[in-house]
Amino acid sequence: MIDFLISRLLSALLVIVGVVCLVFLLIHLIPGDPVDVMLGESARAADREALRHAMGLDQSIVSQLAHYLTGLLQFDLGDSLYAKQSVVGLLVERIPATLQLAFAALLCAFVIALPLGILAALKRGTIWDWGAMSFSTLGISIPNFWLGPMLILFFSLWLGWTPVSGRESSTSLVLPAITLGTGFAAILARMIRSSLLEVLGEDYVRTARAKGLGEPHVLWRHAMRNAWLPVITLIGLQLGALLGGAVVTEVVFDWPGIGTLMIDSIQRRDYPVVQGCVLFVSLTYVLINTVTDIAYGLVDPRIRYGGRP
Amino acid sequence: MNLDPRYTSDALSARLNRLFYQRLVEMDANSMPVPGLADWSQLSPLHYRFKLNSTVGKYPDGRVLNADDVVMTYRSILDKSHASPYQAALSMIDEVKSIDNETVDFLLKRADPLFPAYLEIEILPADHIENDHPFSSQPYGSGEFEFLRWSEAGHLVIQRRDDGQLFEIVEVKNPLVRTLKLLRGEIDILQNDLSPELLDYLRYQKDIELVQNSGSNFSYLGFNLQDSQTSDLRVRQAVAHAIDHQSIIDKVMRGAARKAETIFPPEHWAGNSDLIAYDFDPKKSRRLLLQAGYGPDNPLTLVYKTSSDPFRIRLATIIQNQLSQVGIHVDIKSYDWGTFFGDIKAGNFQIYSLSWVGIRTPDIFRYIFSSESLPPAGANRGRYTNPAVDDLLKKAEQAETLDRQTRIYREVAAQIHKDLPYVPLWFEDQYAAQGSRVTGFRVSPSGNYDGLSHLKLKKSRGNRHAQAATAH
Repeated sequence: MIDFLISRLLSALLVIVGVVCLVFLLIHLIPGDPVDVMLGESARAADREALRHAMGLDQSIVSQLAHYLTGLLQFDLGDSLYAKQSVVGLLVERIPATLQLAFAALLCAFVIALPLGILAALKRGTIWDWGAMSFSTLGISIPNFWLGPMLILFFSLWLGWTPVSGRESSTSLVLPAITLGTGFAAILARMIRSSLLEVLGEDYVRTARAKGLGEPHVLWRHAMRNAWLPVITLIGLQLGALLGGAVVTEVVFDWPGIGTLMIDSIQRRDYPVVQGCVLFVSLTYVLINTVTDIAYGLVDPRIRYGGRP
Repeated sequence: MNLDPRYTSDALSARLNRLFYQRLVEMDANSMPVPGLADWSQLSPLHYRFKLNSTVGKYPDGRVLNADDVVMTYRSILDKSHASPYQAALSMIDEVKSIDNETVDFLLKRADPLFPAYLEIEILPADHIENDHPFSSQPYGSGEFEFLRWSEAGHLVIQRRDDGQLFEIVEVKNPLVRTLKLLRGEIDILQNDLSPELLDYLRYQKDIELVQNSGSNFSYLGFNLQDSQTSDLRVRQAVAHAIDHQSIIDKVMRGAARKAETIFPPEHWAGNSDLIAYDFDPKKSRRLLLQAGYGPDNPLTLVYKTSSDPFRIRLATIIQNQLSQVGIHVDIKSYDWGTFFGDIKAGNFQIYSLSWVGIRTPDIFRYIFSSESLPPAGANRGRYTNPAVDDLLKKAEQAETLDRQTRIYREVAAQIHKDLPYVPLWFEDQYAAQGSRVTGFRVSPSGNYDGLSHLKLKKSRGNRHAQAATAH
């Protein structure tokens, strides 16, 4: 188990170093000049050059990367060109809101998807299956930029149950979590259904039933335990997407997370912040995938020992 | 937001900074510089003296703003190690020094009768500048409002100093959500950036009042004068005569704009009221196209670049349709703001539409039409070059009186009107929608938030904060 953990963490570290270098190089390949952002269009050539020199932008890309990596080791991602605040500070300010929304959306998705997926699998080919999967198709098809305002219109304006947007009260989280979670719930329900259907046809499930075990026992202790593997993979991948890709939902609900910070920074060509946000999203993916791999090991002992019997 | 006025480069931060700080100079309704916290006298063409007056305010710690604060603010802006976007505009300053606690002298490298107009910049406390106070997130000034806290990222809580009224400024990007927040009473007031449909919808809501004012933000259609097609004056004139401004203003913008004839609105002191706008005349447009060598067998095709803002795309589509009526085929390309603006600065376009926000002084002509202002040295994005205009701009810079300078700038405006690097479109109105408990808010022509100084809340239910939403 220790060997397994070490190998996973080492490969995660390698991926992180690769991501850092790639993000740095990609940002420097995008057309545009940070000096333009800071001094504006009217700046004189001499002032531009002076600032470029002061910021080290006249150095080679390799030495700039070395400088960036040195800063990174000290948790220094530079300062925002626009807000003149440290990028780490801006990220730290936004991360709690992003985490809160992502986990709430995940919970919401799970609460919707689990009964739907199980119902569809157990009642395969019936109207229940058809209804659950139609709901799931609807969930994937409705875009968040439409669903969000519709939920606001219904729950906030007509019923008056939740605030329209913002993050001021505990009920503020409800609508963004539903908006963000619905699409994921749809995918998750389908995955639970197909995974469970596959497992329900296995010999050991038939044996369990033949032994006279009750249906709930067969389902939770035998079938679901084996059906979790693909579901965990999907949750891992989707959680990464929820943490970094909730831009539309964040904008609609005025949610102060990483997504809105990233979009604003891209529009302002605030490169250090864009770099910081991309880095955060990439690291999140790597981290979640590593945790998912480790969770595999816990759920399925065969993976822990590299597939040996 | 960046609430350090030395580095502000966006409209939202600039509008908020006006609330926290005071300025040496203000602009009147005709955009003429008038005394702000100081009266001035010109001792020689290269020497201005500013004397602080009775409007000088106190900082939150009770200290009164003084001459050292003014000197330190300007020195800090001009300091090469600081990347202030105001350095270029203030490059004529040779020295700033305090004479006594209330008097500041500005010594210039070159004469400029418009100099006081460049000093509409917020003054910061000298001791806080020395201590590297984080103004960008914690503004600290002697203005009418005091910063209290960030209740959340993008949510700014401020207090009006004369009566203690609290305000929360909330950044809400989605126009529909802003409208719904206003209707539900979560915010009291919102300003600008609504689609005409939402504006119309709000107009008929019984608890909502719309306040409106003529705006000074200038929208235009810009041409690339280095392009083989749009460098032909007849093509530019054909485009100008094919656009029916008035029907766009009446039908699409629901009347919330006025037609622009030149870069300055008619009430501006440097405006040139003798210039006659290019009228909507499709026949003349077709004739000009034929003269330029384009016709049914050889139609003119132009690429029109715009941002991805839905309203801008809609306007581009309407202009595309109007130009197609005279036989000009328009291919619209919309990009995210950064890419679009990058293309415009790089000269990678044929026609584009943009707005100039907050134009105050006619030296803008040098910045956007001088051959010395081609990007990255300035904002002459259309690469317009005319030696006669360059000559006039130099003369304007050297003019020793404002009258003489104004006359020259009017000549520049006339020449540019003739050469048509821009088709002036309109000045969009400024408007605000406010809930039933708000009174006294006035909308400024430039869209600033100074109206919050006069806003009153009717005594009623609930929250005693006034909450204002902004788009950016």
